[in-house]
Amino acid sequence: MVHKLYKRAQEEMVGFALIIIIVSVILLFFFGFSLRDGQKQSVESYEVNSFIQGFLQYTTDCKDNSEYLSVQKLIFECDNKFICLDEREACDVLNSTLKEIADESWKTGQDRPVKGYELVISVNEEEILVFKEGNATNSYKGSLQDFTKGSDSIEVSFRVYD
Amino acid sequence: MKTKSQKSKILATSSMLGQSKAQMKVQQMAFMLIAVTLFFVLVGMIVLVIVLSDLRGSAALLEEKNAMLLVSKLSNSPEFSCGEAFRGTRVNCIDSDKAMVLRDHIGKYSDFWGVSGIEIKKIYPAGNAVCTYENYPECNKIEILPSSSGTGVSNFVSLCRKEKSDEGIYDKCELAKIIVIYDG
Repeated sequence: MVHKLYKRAQEEMVGFALIIIIVSVILLFFFGFSLRDGQKQSVESYEVNSFIQGFLQYTTDCKDNSEYLSVQKLIFECDNKFICLDEREACDVLNSTLKEIADESWKTGQDRPVKGYELVISVNEEEILVFKEGNATNSYKGSLQDFTKGSDSIEVSFRVYD
Repeated sequence: MKTKSQKSKILATSSMLGQSKAQMKVQQMAFMLIAVTLFFVLVGMIVLVIVLSDLRGSAALLEEKNAMLLVSKLSNSPEFSCGEAFRGTRVNCIDSDKAMVLRDHIGKYSDFWGVSGIEIKKIYPAGNAVCTYENYPECNKIEILPSSSGTGVSNFVSLCRKEKSDEGIYDKCELAKIIVIYDG
């Protein structure tokens, strides 16, 4: 009789403990999610996307017969091995301009929010320009923009590692 | 051999024993229910206290989200956007001449965006000169809605203007950041 009572009491205690554990786990999840929502990201996706749109419109100092070329036009001209009016190669201008833009825009370092970045421009799936700066980590924000001119298909991909 | 009266006595005693056992069980159940209810009430109160104490934080977070939303769409608003002025429609493009004029009439827009500051800073070419009519366009920062304090959120934009050269007028676009400052 006493043994039976002990057993029942034990069962009830186990039940109570189970309820407490389940409620605690639910609360932990709740707090975990609410805390995660509040954390500010060091780099936002829209920033990466806007960065690509911004630098594609940048007016370079490479000139053809009619105008100064934007980065977007320079990518096509680089593929066509175009030479600017001042005798510089379009690819060289593209390379130096984009390098300077990326360096000014994303300061990388171990003690900075941005650990590294990677810029890849490919024409018809062939990479014509690749920049890598800093360290590539598992956490990154990326964006890809593609456009076409005639039969050429251009893909600009940019990743920021945080 | 037990007599009839002895048997009925035993039966009555066992039923009384059963009743007291059932009462005990009901009491146990009642205590358990009270304990569980108290536990949930306590947990609820703790959560409520935490949520209420974090209201200020939530308000700041909301303000930050608003600023982020604003900064991602501000460049495409009529007050800033390049429109059709630079050959076709461009996204994330700010007309810097427009921004300079807007700077003078910002009083009319003081409560329009609900933020404490808006500025545009050239990223490339870099520099720190604040734009005035005397040094424009050889400057780097257009303070549209000046703010001395607050937290800023930024987004990349293309800052375009009409530039004069020997051959005529051409479109000049540079990379900039639009910064929205909020009280946070």
